[in-house]
Amino acid sequence: MRNNISYLTFFLAVIAIIALTLGSCATVNVTNYYSRHRPVLDSIESTYKAAYREKPFSIEFTERSFNRISLELMTDSLKYIYEFDLGEGRMRDTLLKYGFDDHAISVLIGQMRSVHCAWVNNLDYYVNEDKRWMVYISIWPQAFNFPFVNKRYNILTYFSQPQYFDDQGRLMTGRRIRRIRKINSEVFRRINDTVCYTSSDRFR
Amino acid sequence: MPQPRILICLVFSYVIAFPAMAFQASDTALLPRSTTAEALRFIRETGHLDSSAHWPHIRPGSFLENLKINILTPLVLYQGSNTNFCGYAALSYPLLHDDPLGYARFMLALYHDGKASWGKIFFKPSEGIKQAAGTLRFKGVLDIRPADQLWFLLLADHFKGYLNFFNHHYDPGDENTFWAAMNYGKFNRIINRLLSYKVEARGTDLIRPDIPQLYEYLSNCLKTGITFLYVNNTFLHKKDHGTKFGFPTHFLVLTDISQSGDTLTITYWDYGGRSLKQVSTAFLKKILFGVTHCTKN
Repeated sequence: MRNNISYLTFFLAVIAIIALTLGSCATVNVTNYYSRHRPVLDSIESTYKAAYREKPFSIEFTERSFNRISLELMTDSLKYIYEFDLGEGRMRDTLLKYGFDDHAISVLIGQMRSVHCAWVNNLDYYVNEDKRWMVYISIWPQAFNFPFVNKRYNILTYFSQPQYFDDQGRLMTGRRIRRIRKINSEVFRRINDTVCYTSSDRFR
Repeated sequence: MPQPRILICLVFSYVIAFPAMAFQASDTALLPRSTTAEALRFIRETGHLDSSAHWPHIRPGSFLENLKINILTPLVLYQGSNTNFCGYAALSYPLLHDDPLGYARFMLALYHDGKASWGKIFFKPSEGIKQAAGTLRFKGVLDIRPADQLWFLLLADHFKGYLNFFNHHYDPGDENTFWAAMNYGKFNRIINRLLSYKVEARGTDLIRPDIPQLYEYLSNCLKTGITFLYVNNTFLHKKDHGTKFGFPTHFLVLTDISQSGDTLTITYWDYGGRSLKQVSTAFLKKILFGVTHCTKN
């Protein structure tokens, strides 16, 4: 009986160590991931920002196979949400119908697929009641996922202006008011002055 | 003598099954119907607004600006990201369209006096709400809309359902918790009491309604009144790709529906705007837990 309890304790300890190791790796992995894929990720940001300025939209890969996408096309009166298989002809027809840049969106889809990006969108945030925008990029989790345990997406945010951080690298609201800025209820950390990351169980 | 466990089961089944019963509004007091112009004139005549001792964190200029935005463009009302205010936002949709003057009068009375009446309902917000209104942050555009913060907090503070049983009093951050949660029965009750509408509800918090001719049913609802859908949003507006549970989590206002073969094109209002999405009938049946059809008395 005592042996059984010892085995159980040992087993739980091993699980805890593995979980802690994987958890701490996740933090390192986002920055490594960013360094490794920086040219593509930066290009996604700039291409998306330019195309969004013409007409707002967001792109989501709905499945891990990266063969199906959901497009949210914003017009003045309505947000159209359509799902397409990659390469489907009606996607181009739809984009042209609503006046979207189908070339830029096709390029983006290819880039997103190459780096396992699940979602890209523009999010608004407020500094002293002024509206500002950030590009929000979610990366599909690459690590092994335990069944029934929520996946952790790696999230990158691109700001247009340099941001403020505390000595632990956490994103703050400003220089004078030192308050942690949360985005989608998550605390973000510094990669560089304008790019931050976090790990979240939601991709949006 | 029934066992206590059986009694608890009976009470619980009554609570979740109650909204399934269609009921008629008993409140005969009709809200005054008004126009956008009347509401804007009323705000203009109010003139300058001083700071209110009741709402220390609300800036009067932003408050008035917020009221005007809601009156002029009620579709942009936004409950904030990651809050549990979607039900309150949904029921504000007909209210802002139907009686903007009543809304403006009520909000300004509440701002000045710290309490106000809407029809027969007397609102006296708790101290926690008064301190919190104007301070909610990192919720998107709700950050700069103090009147909306006040409105959502007030409704959540006043109306309680069984989901709020263990968290009755507001603490900072409770806008994201069960304190602000809305169950289906509570939603229908608020519409009935606040708007004095005749409410016909089909569905529950746990069991989907059996509506065989769903398209025809929803089309008829749209022709005769305002239609709210109570849905499982983890399927409609996915935020992750993990295991999904079959519970309703979201209220939206259905504004249009059309059918082509098995595909339904639904247009609905939520999150401060209208969306159009194509879904199959089976998918809509899978996510749909309640249909509330409201008509004026």
